[in-house]
Amino acid sequence: MKNVRIWFKKIGTARFISHLDLNRCMLRAIHKAKIPLWYTQGYNPHAFITFALPLSLGIAGERECMDIRLEDNELTREELINRLNAALPDDIPVFDATEPVMKPGEIAYASFIMELEPENLSAEDAVSQIKGMLGQENIIVPKHTKNGIIDLDIKPYLGKTEAAPKNGLVEMQTVLPAGSTMNVNPSLICDAVKKYLNLDFYADITRINIYNADFRIFE
Amino acid sequence: MITKKIEKLLANVQKPGRYVGGELNSVIKQRDEVDVRFAFCFPDIYEVGMSHLGMKILYSQLNTLPYVWCERVFAPWTDMEEQMRKNHVPLYALESGDGIAGFDFIAFTLQYELSYTNILNMLDLAGIPLKASDRHGLSPLVVAGGPCTCNSEPLADFFDLFFIGEGEEVDGEVIELYREYKKQNRPKEEFLIAAAKIPGVYVPSLYTITYHDDGTVKAITPKCGAPETIKKRVMMDMDKSYFPDKFVVPYIEIVHDRTVAEVLRGCIRGCRFCQAGFLYRPFREKSVGVIDKQCHDLCDNTGYDEISLSSLSTSDYSQINELLDQLLTWTKAEKTGVSLPSLRVDNFSTELMSKIKSVRRSGLTFAPEAGTQRLRDVINKNVTEEDLFKTVNTAFKGGWTTIKLYFIIGLPTETLDDVAGIAELGQKVVDAFYENPDKPKGKSVKVTVSASSFVPKPFTPFQWEPQDTIETLHQKQRHLISSVKTRKVEPSWHDADVSFLEAVFARGDRRLCDVLLEAHKAGCKMDGWQDCFSLAKWLEAFQKCGIDPAFYANRRRSFDEVLPWDHIDCGVKKSFLIDECKRAYADQTTPNCREQCSSCGAACFKGGICFEKRPNLV
Repeated sequence: MKNVRIWFKKIGTARFISHLDLNRCMLRAIHKAKIPLWYTQGYNPHAFITFALPLSLGIAGERECMDIRLEDNELTREELINRLNAALPDDIPVFDATEPVMKPGEIAYASFIMELEPENLSAEDAVSQIKGMLGQENIIVPKHTKNGIIDLDIKPYLGKTEAAPKNGLVEMQTVLPAGSTMNVNPSLICDAVKKYLNLDFYADITRINIYNADFRIFE
Repeated sequence: MITKKIEKLLANVQKPGRYVGGELNSVIKQRDEVDVRFAFCFPDIYEVGMSHLGMKILYSQLNTLPYVWCERVFAPWTDMEEQMRKNHVPLYALESGDGIAGFDFIAFTLQYELSYTNILNMLDLAGIPLKASDRHGLSPLVVAGGPCTCNSEPLADFFDLFFIGEGEEVDGEVIELYREYKKQNRPKEEFLIAAAKIPGVYVPSLYTITYHDDGTVKAITPKCGAPETIKKRVMMDMDKSYFPDKFVVPYIEIVHDRTVAEVLRGCIRGCRFCQAGFLYRPFREKSVGVIDKQCHDLCDNTGYDEISLSSLSTSDYSQINELLDQLLTWTKAEKTGVSLPSLRVDNFSTELMSKIKSVRRSGLTFAPEAGTQRLRDVINKNVTEEDLFKTVNTAFKGGWTTIKLYFIIGLPTETLDDVAGIAELGQKVVDAFYENPDKPKGKSVKVTVSASSFVPKPFTPFQWEPQDTIETLHQKQRHLISSVKTRKVEPSWHDADVSFLEAVFARGDRRLCDVLLEAHKAGCKMDGWQDCFSLAKWLEAFQKCGIDPAFYANRRRSFDEVLPWDHIDCGVKKSFLIDECKRAYADQTTPNCREQCSSCGAACFKGGICFEKRPNLV
């Protein structure tokens, strides 16, 4: 058997399905593509499939990955990609299949692009207000946790966050802690902007890439 | 593709995956390359509608026509509806994201009486006038098919035409006629008169209904050359009948999330309360090879690893063991399971069990329907207690410990002793478990006895029967609960309020259209969902319209009364239903179609079991 890391995008309509649905969708696609998945040998055999960093519902992903374990066989990289693409909806395209280099646990950061569409405010004005907010000492937002809602200061995590006008919209770029130990959801930044600027807007969020603790691209 | 405007709503709703389309195998066409835009509307939420086999068949079939683009439309849940109304987003089709008001056909499937308010709500959300008489252009045509069209009178004011019977042929014929009339720019009235000449098409506006002083129907009179009776359409050669080789595979989990193969239509049994058992006659089977290929194609094209062999009674399929053997030749290697959704008490064998067992060990469900032999004879459920115990013992031996038994309370001639018999039967099943030497070791047994309330339906021998009042049903429910003596038997029951409304609309007439409109205005919707249903709101609507719902639900009708659906012909003769009703009161059973023909009338379709050699006649 061998481990393979499948790289795909989750875009368009696929943004609106949960991680659980994505998992089911992938299993069905693997079954449909007749890819010889390795099954655990226990009493209840199940397929070996893990996602490195699940994506929140509503957020698009440009470089997502899942690890699968295959039975030994002659399947080439190209064939694997082609078969999966034939079995998946258009909005979940597979673009690569590699041998895993890093462990999913090494993921430490993720980069995002957010497109904000402020209501009743020009993009330039919104950007200058957002910059003002980013310059504050604390940025407190309510965060839902297992133990209820807590007030979180996200200021320490916004060192790599910028805002600029683009085609009449506000484009924010950010790199946030991500992974199993510390994870900051980019929608918290949106919440902060809404709260501090008293602005309502629609945000299109895309996860662009994932990195390890040394800011090396996750492979 | 859904628009940005729709996407913006999705951040504020539960399960946005319901509203986005884009699923594997959904059909995308170019707007300017088709002549007919067809909105296939299911009047319930996505997860329910996407599980419906009829929609899968017709969606694929209509899209094989190059000039038609059939798209799916579902009722949004209340949170999404609120967002849509607030932001002026009209009801849209999932494939194109286009509002459906500009479509040629708005086609609903009528599966359940309590989805009727959803139909009005969906039309309203689409910006389409509710009443057919307020829609003057040829399009959009609001049409419907499905089992409830056998008495569509409570919806007559809202629809332009109904498809009676099976839709595979007649839908296409009507679309083709429409296409011609659209090209020639001819008026709607002319189209409807021409459409009414197609067999299986019912145009309600071409029929005048008159009433007696006592409120019963006096006469149903056709005009403009519409036929006296509308005979249902049926596909007589099931092997050649269209069946899709792929389904749309939803992103999100739906109610029946698996491949569904149809093994047969109709039912040989003739249980007297069951509308489907009479409506879908004659009994017609597909052959093993055809079902096997359809299953394999569907699994290949969807990726599902479970096949459900669907029909009204799959264990009545004459070649069930051969079919399962054939399927097992490839399903095992492809890690695909086979399940049978409908099992009968009297033909569940060890052999059958061993073939489906490998799949999933969830509970087993059987439907004795009544607690005593006398009442089972009344309803013609030809199942004995002996059958039931043979079956549950087989199941216990096979390792099952959870058994669910379905019953109906409120059946004609039922007494409180019959109700107590339900609990007693449950107890006997528990006892059988402990007496069984081969029972699973170290496990307890659980028997659920579920009691729904009897709803008399058109085209059954009980179509003249009164429904028990809500009070009586409540009394019987309480009696059932108090008759249960141990915790191993768990009773459950249906809301009697819901069954009452179902009974009103199942056998209603056109005067209920006003009530429906009133209820819609009062905000009634998603009535099939317990959290949304309010009988109080409905009773207010009845009162406003001056209509007594008990007239429809709780009144005994005489055999010579003109029934609101007398102009619909499903093949089974009224005289046969009268005979069956009389036999019920005499505790007499009627043999099933395979044992003996009882001349119900379905032989007029010239096929199926009506023309097969019966073993005892050879």
